[in-house]
Amino acid sequence: MDNTAEKKEIMDERFEIDRLEILDCSKLKFYKDEGNFISLEYNGETYFNVRLTRLIPFYSKTTYISVAYDNKDNEFKEIGVIKDMNELSEDQYKMIDEYLEYKYYMPEITKVYSIKDNNRGFIFVDIQTTSGRKTICIRDWYSNFRMLSEKLLYAVDVDGNKYFCPDIDKLDKKSLSILEIFV
Amino acid sequence: MNLLLSAPKGHELSEYVYSLPFNLYGKAKKVDGTLSVTKNEIIVYIDGEEIDRFGFSDYEEYACEQLVGCSMMVGRVDDRSQKCICAFTQDSFIAFAELCKIINHFLTTGHLVEESTIDEPKCPKCGLPLDGYTECPYCASKVKTFSKLFGRLKPYKGVFAIAILCTVLGELLNVLSPQINRILIDDYVIPQNMSHWLGFGLLCAAMFGVIIINTAINWVNMKCSYYVSLNLGQDLRQDVFNKTLELSMSSISKKTAGDLINRVSNDANKLQSFLTDNGKNAIVRIFSLIIVAVMLFTMNWKLALLAIVPIPLVVLVIKRAYNVIHMYYGRSWRFSNAHSKLLHDALDGIRVVKTCGTEEAEIEKYRRASENWAKAASKAEIVWNLIWPFSDFFMTIGNYFVLYFGSLMILERIPSFGGMTLGELTLFTTYIGMLYNPLRWLMQLPRQLADVSVSASKVFEILEENTDVRDDAQSVDLDIKGNIKFNDVFFGYKVYNPVLKDISCDFEQGKMYGIVGHSGVGKSTMINLILRLYDVTQGSVTIDGVDIRKISQKSLRSQVGVVLQETYLFEGTVLENITYAKPDATFEEVIQAAKIAHCHEFITKLPDGYNTRVGNKGYTLSGGERQRVAIARAILHNPKIIILDEATASLDTETERQIQEGLNELCKGRTTIAIAHRLSTLSHADRLIVLDKGRLAETGTHEELMKKKGVYYELVMAQRKTTKMREVTGNPNYVH
Repeated sequence: MDNTAEKKEIMDERFEIDRLEILDCSKLKFYKDEGNFISLEYNGETYFNVRLTRLIPFYSKTTYISVAYDNKDNEFKEIGVIKDMNELSEDQYKMIDEYLEYKYYMPEITKVYSIKDNNRGFIFVDIQTTSGRKTICIRDWYSNFRMLSEKLLYAVDVDGNKYFCPDIDKLDKKSLSILEIFV
Repeated sequence: MNLLLSAPKGHELSEYVYSLPFNLYGKAKKVDGTLSVTKNEIIVYIDGEEIDRFGFSDYEEYACEQLVGCSMMVGRVDDRSQKCICAFTQDSFIAFAELCKIINHFLTTGHLVEESTIDEPKCPKCGLPLDGYTECPYCASKVKTFSKLFGRLKPYKGVFAIAILCTVLGELLNVLSPQINRILIDDYVIPQNMSHWLGFGLLCAAMFGVIIINTAINWVNMKCSYYVSLNLGQDLRQDVFNKTLELSMSSISKKTAGDLINRVSNDANKLQSFLTDNGKNAIVRIFSLIIVAVMLFTMNWKLALLAIVPIPLVVLVIKRAYNVIHMYYGRSWRFSNAHSKLLHDALDGIRVVKTCGTEEAEIEKYRRASENWAKAASKAEIVWNLIWPFSDFFMTIGNYFVLYFGSLMILERIPSFGGMTLGELTLFTTYIGMLYNPLRWLMQLPRQLADVSVSASKVFEILEENTDVRDDAQSVDLDIKGNIKFNDVFFGYKVYNPVLKDISCDFEQGKMYGIVGHSGVGKSTMINLILRLYDVTQGSVTIDGVDIRKISQKSLRSQVGVVLQETYLFEGTVLENITYAKPDATFEEVIQAAKIAHCHEFITKLPDGYNTRVGNKGYTLSGGERQRVAIARAILHNPKIIILDEATASLDTETERQIQEGLNELCKGRTTIAIAHRLSTLSHADRLIVLDKGRLAETGTHEELMKKKGVYYELVMAQRKTTKMREVTGNPNYVH
C-alpha cells in the first residue's frame, strides 16, 4: 500500500470513529441469544452481546439509546445511536425496552412517609415505591439524596440501589413537607 | 460471610451448601427467588418452583455483572456465550460475587469451599455498611470504648486528678457563695442589724476571699487541663499515625486518604477535647448536680420537688424542639453551601462565562441560589426565635413555682409547706439556677457521647488492627540475588474480583523483563505482589527460592528499587528527596546518581542547586524533572531488583532516550522488570511476559512473539496504527 492510500485509509477510519451514527431503525435486527443477551444484525454485520445505554437516562427513557459492543481487544466500539425507539417495530421496541428496564432498574418513589436523620451522615427514608414500601438507608445524603433538576429527586442507598421521583410536585402534601427539610 | 440465607419454599436449608435469595427475574419484575447450590449443581427457584438447573462445569466462569440499577449473576463459556442465571438488587451483590468466586475456585481446583471466609459488609445489628471496619463504630460497646479511652489518661493521672480536684473545689465554692449571701440577707439586711459591723465585714471578706480562691483554683485547673489535653492529643495522633504506616496496603486502601487524615487529626482531636473538657465536666457536673439536689431537698423537699418534677417532661419536649431547629439550620447550611459552590464555579470559570456570553444566565442562577439561601436562613431564624424563648421558659418553669410557693411560705400562707425567710428563698432560687446548668449540659450529653464514641471506635480500630501483611517470627533478612518466581498465583484486590489468575513464570537474575498487556490486565498488580504490598490470594511468589512471606519486609523493600509513572516527591529539598531511601549517602554518590538519571544538569541550573525546595508534591519542578529525581532516588538506593512501572511514560522522546541510557547502565547485572505503554521501549527486553484478561497469555522475546502472531503481535500492530494516525492527524494527544 503506497503512502497516500495508507493516509487516506487512516483518515477514513478516524472519520468513522468521530461521526455520530444515527441508526436506521428499519435496518436494525435485534435478537436474543440462548443466554437471553441481545445481539444485533445491522448492515450485514452481526454484533454479539451488544451494550445498550440510555444516553440521557433521567430525561428520556426511549430516545438517544447508544448501541455498542466490546471488540475482541475488549475495547468499546459504538455501532451508533437510536434517536427514538418509537421508530423500531413493535417487537423490537419491546425487546429493547425490556432489556433497558432491567439495566436501569430503578423504583419510582410515590410517597414519603418519614425521614430520620441519625446525625452521623446517614438518613433513613421510609418510602412507597413502584416496587413496594421500603426504608432505605442513605449515606452522605447531601450527595446521595438530592434534586437533579427543580423537580427530579434522585436517591442512592448504601447498597448502591437507585430510586427516583420524576416530579416531586406531584407527591402528596405530607410527602412534600417531609422532603422540604432535606432537599 | 453467611451464604446460606434462605431455602426455597418447601425445602430445607440443610439440603444445600449455599442458598441465597434474589429478587429480580424475567422482565426486571420483583420475584421471590432463591439460588441454591449443592455440592455440584446450581438450582434456580422462583416461588419454590425449580426453573433452571446447571452443573458447575456447564460454564467456564461465573461472574457478577453490575448494571446501572441492579446486578446479575452470569455463567460464561466465552465472551460471546453467556447466560444470565438470576438478577438482584445491589444489596445482594457482594454475597453473589463471593458465591461466584467460590464456584470459580471449585472449577480451577476441584475443591468446593463450604464456608465463606470474607467479612460481612454490613453490621448485623444496625444494617449500616461497615466500610472496612471490623466492628460497627455505631454499635461497638460504649462502655468498652470509653474505658479504653479513659485508660489513655493513665500516664497523666496525677495531673488529671489535680484538675478534677480543682474543679470540685471550684464547684464547692460556688455552693458556698449563696450561703454567705443568705446569712447576709437574713442576719444583717432584713433585721437592719448593723451593730455587728465585725460580722458583716467578715462575711464581705469571706465573699471576696471566695472569689480570689476561685480564681486561683481556676488558674491551676486550666493549666493542668491543658497539660493533660495537649499531651494526650499528641500521644493519640502519634500512635494513630505510626499504626497507619504499619498497616498493609489492602487495609489502607479500604479507607480513603481523607478518612485516614480525619482519624489522625479530627477524631483524635475530638477525643482529646472530650476527655479533658467533657470528661472532667462529666464528673464535676454530676457531682454538683448531686450536691445541689441534696442541699435543695434538705432545705425543703416539697419545694425542691416542685422545681424538679416538670423537668423530665420539659427535657423531652425541648429535645424534640432542638431536633427541629437543628434540621432547619442544616437546611440553611446546605443552601449556603450550594450558594458558595455556585459563586466559586462562576468566578473560577469567569473566562468561560465571558467567552460564552452567559453572564445573564449566571446572574439569574446566582440570584436564585442567593434567594434560596436567604429564605432558608430566615426560616431557620424564625423557627429558632419561636422555639427558643418557650423552651427556655419551660426549662426554668420550676423556678416560677418555687418563687410563687416560696413567697407564700414567707407570708406563712401555706402552713403545710412550713415557713421560710427571704434569705432562704434567695438561696433556694440561686441553687435551682445552679441545678439547671448541669441539666442543660446533660441534655446535650447523649449526643456528645454518641459522637465521641464513634470517633473513639474509629481511632481504636486503627490502633488495634492486626496488619494482614506482616512479618512473622520466622521472617529472615535475605541477601537477594534476584531470581523471582510466580507459582500458580491468584490475586484480587477485592476477593470476588480476581485480577491475576493462575500466573506462573520466572524472572532470572540479571535479566530484563517486560510485562505487557492491555490496561487493567494486572501488570502493576504483579509488581505490587513482588514488593509484597499485598499478599497473594492463592499460590506463592518466591525470591531466590524463598517465599516472600518469609522474607522480612524491610529487607525485601530495601533491595528493590521502584520508579513509578506518578512520582511522589515529598515536601523538602531536591537533596532530601534523592537521599530519601538512603539518608546516609555521601554527596558524591548523590551527584553520581543524579548524573546517571540526567537530572544533575537541571538541578545545577536551579538557583539553590541541590538545596532547592521542591514544594508540595514537587510542583515547582516539571513532570520530567520530578521523574528524573525519582530515578536518581532509585539509582542511589542501589537495588538488586529494579521495577520500572511506566517510568519514562511522562517524558518526551528525547529525555526518555537520555534517561534510558542511564537506566540501561543501572539495570546491568540486576533483575529488571519494566512495564511500558510504548512497546518499543521494551523490545530489547530479554523476555516479555504477556498478560491477557488476568492470565499469562505468552512469553518470549520480541522477535519470537512477533513471529507467533498472538496477543503481543496484535498489541504491537494496534500501537503502530495509532502512532501512524497520530502522525497523520498531527495530534500527539490523539489516542485511538
